Amino acid sequence: MTSVDYVLGLGDDALVAAQRLAQWCARAPELEEDVALANIALDQLGAARLLLTYAGELEGAGRDEDALAYLRGDREYRNCLLVELPEPDFAVTMAKLLFLSAYQKLRYEWLAAAGDERLSAVADKARKESAYHLDHASLWTVRLGDGTPESHRRMQDAVDRLWPYTHELFEGDHAALRPQWLSLVTAVLDEATLTRPADGGWAPGGGRQGLHTEHLSYLLAELQVLHRAHPGARW
Amino acid sequence: MYGNDFAATGDAGVPASDVAATSAGRTLLEQVEDAERELRSASERSVVGDDRLQDYFDAVINADQKIEPRDWMPDPYRLGLIRQIAQHAHSEIIGMQPEGNWISRAPSLKRKAILLAKVQDEAGHGLYLYAAAETLGVSRSDLVDQLLTGRQKYSSIFNYPTLTWADVGTIGWLVDGAAIVNQVPLCRCSYGPYARAMIRICKEESFHQRQGFEILHTLAHGTPAQRAMAQDAVNRWWYPSLAMFGPPDTASTHSEQSMTWKIKRFSNDELRQRFVDMCVQQATVLGLSLPDPDLRWNAERDHYDFTQPDFHELMRVISGDGPCNRQRLEHRRRAHEEGAWVREAAAAYAAKRAAREPAGV
Amino acid sequence: MNVYDVVAAVVDPELRVVTIADLGILRDVTVDGERVTVTITPTYSGCPAMDVIRADIRQALRSAGYADPEIVTTLRPAWSTDWITDDGRSKLAAAGIAPPGPSRGPIALTLGVRCPRCGSPNTEELSRFGSTACKALWRCRACAEPFDHVKAY
Repeated sequence: MTSVDYVLGLGDDALVAAQRLAQWCARAPELEEDVALANIALDQLGAARLLLTYAGELEGAGRDEDALAYLRGDREYRNCLLVELPEPDFAVTMAKLLFLSAYQKLRYEWLAAAGDERLSAVADKARKESAYHLDHASLWTVRLGDGTPESHRRMQDAVDRLWPYTHELFEGDHAALRPQWLSLVTAVLDEATLTRPADGGWAPGGGRQGLHTEHLSYLLAELQVLHRAHPGARW
Repeated sequence: MYGNDFAATGDAGVPASDVAATSAGRTLLEQVEDAERELRSASERSVVGDDRLQDYFDAVINADQKIEPRDWMPDPYRLGLIRQIAQHAHSEIIGMQPEGNWISRAPSLKRKAILLAKVQDEAGHGLYLYAAAETLGVSRSDLVDQLLTGRQKYSSIFNYPTLTWADVGTIGWLVDGAAIVNQVPLCRCSYGPYARAMIRICKEESFHQRQGFEILHTLAHGTPAQRAMAQDAVNRWWYPSLAMFGPPDTASTHSEQSMTWKIKRFSNDELRQRFVDMCVQQATVLGLSLPDPDLRWNAERDHYDFTQPDFHELMRVISGDGPCNRQRLEHRRRAHEEGAWVREAAAAYAAKRAAREPAGV
Repeated sequence: MNVYDVVAAVVDPELRVVTIADLGILRDVTVDGERVTVTITPTYSGCPAMDVIRADIRQALRSAGYADPEIVTTLRPAWSTDWITDDGRSKLAAAGIAPPGPSRGPIALTLGVRCPRCGSPNTEELSRFGSTACKALWRCRACAEPFDHVKAY
C-alpha cells in the first residue's frame, strides 16, 4: 500500500520545482529559454497535479489538488530541500534541473514498473518528460561548463553549492538508485569539464519529514496568498 | 475569433450562441479560415506581369496575391513591414510581463497551468514573428536592440499594471480580443510570411482568449469580492483597450499607403467600432458592465454609439509616460544584461565545437 | 452521425486544423444504453487544453442528443506522436506545420524536416521549443519561411 506521504513527496517535488522554474518567465537569458523553461515548468506542474490528486484520494479526507497545494503550511510539505532553494542565477537553475531531472527520471522509471497501478501510469507518462528535461539541463551544463571562464566558474560554483542537497534524494528505499544517478550526472559533468564534488561531507535533509529550509515558507506565501485571501471561493 | 468563437458551452456554463458575435455573418475564426483558403488559392494563380520589377510588384498586389521573401519589393514596403512585424514581436515579448506577474500567485493549479501555457505561447509567437521579420533582411538582435534602446515601440496597452487576478481574465477578454480584431484582417496581408504568421497566431490566441473569458466569467459569478474584483478590472482596462486601435482616422499617419499595399485593410475607427459591437453582448453574458454611460445601440448606424478613449492619454503613454513604461523596459533590459554571460557561453561553446569538428560534418 | 463520429469530429482547440481523433487523443467511445463513456489521453501531463477538450466533447455530444457523458482520462498507454494518424499528418502539413517522424525511445532524433511550404529538405531548427509544448520552431533555408514542426515524441 502506497503511503500518502510518499506520493506527496513526489508531487511536492514537482510543484515546488514548477514554482521556481516559472520565476524565469519573461526574464530568461534568451527568448528560446523563456519558452523552454516555461515548458518544463508546465510538465512539472502537470505531474504535480496528477500526483496531488492521487495523494488526496489515498488520504480519503476529501482534499483535492488545490486543497493540498494551497492550504498546507511548510511543515506539511514533503518535497526535498533541493527544489526549494532559491535560484540566484541561471547556472544554479541548470544544476538543479540536472540533479532533479536525473533523479526524477530514475524514480519514475522505477515506479512505472512497480506495483501501484495508478502511480505507475503517472510515472510512465512523466518519465518521458523527465528524459527531455535531463537532456535540456545536460545541454546547458555542458555549454556553461565548457563555455567561457566566467560561465565555467558559475557552473562549478552551482554544482558545488547544490551537491550536498542531492544526498537527501536517496534516503531510505531509494538508496539503490544513487549509483545510477551518479553515472548519469558524472557523464554530464565530465563532458562539461566540471569537477564532481566529493561525497562524505555535509548532507542536509529533513524535507520528507516537513523540516525545510527558511526559503520554502516564502515560496508558499507567494503561491498561496490569493487562494487563502478568498476562503472557499471557486476560480 | 478572439472572444467570440465560443462555439461550445464550457464547464463555466458560458452560453454559446450569445457570444458568437459575427462580422458580415462570419465569426472571426471563420474569417481566419477564409483568409487561409484565399492564401492557398492565390498561390495557385499566376500573374502575367511586365518585366519591370515595380510593375510586377503592383500586379501581384492588385491580383491579391502574396509577396514572398525572395521577391523584389519597394524599400518603403519592406521598411514599413519590418517596423510593423517588429512592433508586433516586441508586443508579444513585453506582453509576457503583465501576465507573467500573476503566474506565481494564480489561485488554482489549473489556472496556473493555463496562464503559464499562455505566457509561453506569447514567447513562442515572439520567436515566430522575429523569424518572419528576418525574412525581410533584418536580424533579430538588431530588432531587440531597437526595442531596448526605445527606437521601436510595443503596444502601449502593456504599460498598464495588472493589479489583481481579475486583470489576467480581463486581458484575455478585452486586450486579446482587441488584438485579434486587429489581427484578423492581417491574415490577408499582402506579405506571405506575415499573413501566414497571423493565421497561425490568431488560431492559437483564440484558445487562450477563450480561457481568459472563462476566468472572468467564473469571477463574475463567484463571491461578492470576486465579482467586485472583476468589475474593477473591466473598468480599468476598457478605455485602454479601445485605445489599442490607435488614433482616430482623422489623425492616423501611416494608414493610406498601408491600405494601398494591402498590409492594412480597415481603418482604426472601423476596427474599434467592430470591437465595441462585439464586446457589448459579451459583457451581458459575463454579467459585467462597461464603464460608458453613453454606450447605446444606434439603429440608424446599425452600430453601438460609444465614448472614445482619451487620445491624449494614449499619446502620453506612447511617448513614454504611462504607468509602467519605465518598469517594462527596465525589466527587459535587466533580463537581457543578466543573460549576457549565458549567451556568451553558448556562443563560445558553439565556436569550440565547430573548431573541434572536422569540416563538413 | 454515430456517436463515435460525433466525438471524433471535435477539433483540437489549439491546433484547430486536426481533430482529437487525428491526434490520437481520443482512445475510446462506448455506449451503454443512454450512457456514453469517452476515454481520452493527454499529450503531455501538463497539457492545459485537456479541460477545454472535455468541455467541447460534452458540448458536441449534447448537441447530438446525448446528455451527460462520462469522460475518462487514461494515461496508459502513454501518448506519443506515433498516435497521430496519417490523415492528421496530412492536415498538419497542409496547414504549414511539419508533421513528426516516427519516435524512437524517450528522445527521438529529428532527421530531415522538410519545409511544409516549398518541400525543401534544406531546413534548420531555430528553437527546440515552440509556442506550444509539442512544437519546435524551424526555418527553411531555401524559401526563408519560418514554420512549426511537431516534434517526434
